[in-house]
Amino acid sequence: MKFKDKHRFVRSNMKRNRTRVWMTILASTIGCAFLIMLASVGFAIHKTAVDDVMSYRLMNEIQIQKENGMITDKEVKKLEKIKDVKAVTRKKHTPANEFTLGDYMISTSVFSAHMPSEIKAGFELDRGRLPKNKNEIVVGYHFSEQFIKEAPESFYEGLSEEESQEKHKELVYKEDLIGKTLTYHLTPADNKDQNAKNLSVDVKVVGIGKKPTKKWAIVTDAYITDDLRKEVVNTLFEKNKNEGSLEEGYDDVKVYTSSAEEVKAVSEVIEKMDLLTYSVASELKELNLYFTLFKAGLIFIGGIAVLIASIGIFNTMTMAVTERSQDIGIMKAIGATPKTIKRIFLLESGYIGLWGVGLGTVLAYMISYGVNFALPIIIEQFLNEKPPEDFILSYIPWSLTVIAVTICMGVTLLSGWRPAAKATTVDVLKALRRDV
Amino acid sequence: MIKVNHLSYAFKIGKKEKENVVPVLHDVNLQVEKGEIVAIVGRSGSGKSTLLNLISGFIQAETGTISINGTKVSGLSESKWAEFRLSHLGFIFQSFQLIPSMTAYENIELPLVLKGTNEKDRVERTKEMLKRVGLEQYQSHYPGELSGGQQQRVSIARALILNPPLILADEPTGSLDSENERELLSFIKELNENYGITFLMITHDHEVASIAHRKVEIVDGYLREGRMLREVQR
Ligand SMILES: Nc1ncnc2c1ncn2[C@@H]1O[C@H](COP(=O)(O)OP(=O)(O)O)[C@@H](O)[C@H]1O
Ligand SMILES: [Mg+2]
Repeated sequence: MKFKDKHRFVRSNMKRNRTRVWMTILASTIGCAFLIMLASVGFAIHKTAVDDVMSYRLMNEIQIQKENGMITDKEVKKLEKIKDVKAVTRKKHTPANEFTLGDYMISTSVFSAHMPSEIKAGFELDRGRLPKNKNEIVVGYHFSEQFIKEAPESFYEGLSEEESQEKHKELVYKEDLIGKTLTYHLTPADNKDQNAKNLSVDVKVVGIGKKPTKKWAIVTDAYITDDLRKEVVNTLFEKNKNEGSLEEGYDDVKVYTSSAEEVKAVSEVIEKMDLLTYSVASELKELNLYFTLFKAGLIFIGGIAVLIASIGIFNTMTMAVTERSQDIGIMKAIGATPKTIKRIFLLESGYIGLWGVGLGTVLAYMISYGVNFALPIIIEQFLNEKPPEDFILSYIPWSLTVIAVTICMGVTLLSGWRPAAKATTVDVLKALRRDV
Repeated sequence: MIKVNHLSYAFKIGKKEKENVVPVLHDVNLQVEKGEIVAIVGRSGSGKSTLLNLISGFIQAETGTISINGTKVSGLSESKWAEFRLSHLGFIFQSFQLIPSMTAYENIELPLVLKGTNEKDRVERTKEMLKRVGLEQYQSHYPGELSGGQQQRVSIARALILNPPLILADEPTGSLDSENERELLSFIKELNENYGITFLMITHDHEVASIAHRKVEIVDGYLREGRMLREVQR
């Protein structure tokens, strides 16, 4: 019997019991959609968590720390020589952190960074250039936003929160900082009451860092040259001789590999150097394991719904076999092989399953889309709160679709197997005798 | 065409522990030549249907052998039997055994479909067969919409569609009125004479004279060869 004929045969059989078949398909649809929806919540949480972790740091980044003390130049040189290392950025913290220009003032983190390796690691300027002379600096993209005048007395009085936010903008420095000369106050952050206010050096802003790709990230850091830092530290050190010697090392060292795949091997090499490493890649591994188990649990629970739906398929197919046992008997008498009979019934349950899976998947995608679309609106309406950015409750990657389709089709074929096998055992004589 | 040797059969009734064995056929030997019409007669319950069902492969005997058309069929697996039936045997039943959800056309076409014949041949042969049994206008009728005589003609068409050399019939006229019975018997005779199809059929005594070449009688499970009634035309 050709497949086309089996298909035609099965189609006409299914049409004869349209309601029953559609009810069974409906049950499989709901089961399949439930499985996908339930698991999609797990996939969404996983995705959000991973995105969250990755948004803080780069996948090919390894943070380096030493158990005690700071990382030395010698160690940095060694790090740079490791295979697959693209760049080693190193920053030294500078203990003075205040800049002014006229009435405008900012207090921010100040580093001296090794610019060539920063560039190699992906640092880019929004405008301007890198420092050439000792007293030139580069500032972060959001530096100017925090560069503000002191608010006059009762400036915000009688204003709502929103209004005062608007009003605050009046205090922000509005001109382009490039080419402006700022006063860098050599006052250590933790030493305000010292009467060292008058010590300062003039620095010129020559470059502004590129806007960070993460919307929420705010970069107000200032990068000074190594030479300026030395001068600053020496000046401060002289003022605070009693605070002990100044350690020569880097506060913030990061190793960049060309791609995330190399992170593991490079980390191992670094750990052999008695340095501590931290990378998103390694953290993600644990996170992924945890979420994979979580998702497997959800799929298992969702699978129960599919199992219940499959009982429907089992029932429908058993009824179909019982109803048609006379037809089966006649066909066997004429010369249909048990294999043909079995295939016909497996095909029928397969079609029911396919319809169920197909419709279930479409339904799940629609619900998923609807939920993700509607939920932020609902949260905003009823809780009066803005949902987190890029918030999703349900995420259906193609892998979930594949898993769900496989489970549903597998369960369907399993549940159709017994009725189909039963069909082959129909006794020809009993079937032929039936209507006598 | 058919060779039955030392065939015995017993029905087993009841559960395994208290199995009840009912012997039905005892050491049956039967030979049917090509082109013969052989009538099996006997009282009700004597075992006629059982013999025919064994030859059809619907049940399997534990002792004795059956050969059809040179093939030893006793002991074939279920699917081998099915394949053999499809290509070598045609069946006519007392109660027609048409599939109620299929039209006359589809019922006749069924063996071709099972065989996997291509669409074009199928249409051609089914149409031709419908014409031969005079049911062209009824091709899209369902069995429930046909008279007994018409249904039997559909079932004969279905039995003939794959040109089997042998047709087995269990009381083919049992559900027909006398006019349809006469018509059917003459059709069988015509098929036998024009196409050399061999028939083994269970009939009532009074019919035998009109068509059978030979009759055999079953008495309480024992087969008795009857006399030759007429010569087989070659
Ligand atoms: N399925 C069966 N189970 C048990 N006994 C059966 C079965 N079918 C037939 N018999 C018995 O076998 C005997 C022969 O039956 P059957 O061949 O149908 O007779 P016939 O066709 O000559 O009237 C009968 O006594 C009947 O009771
Ligand atoms: Mg009988």
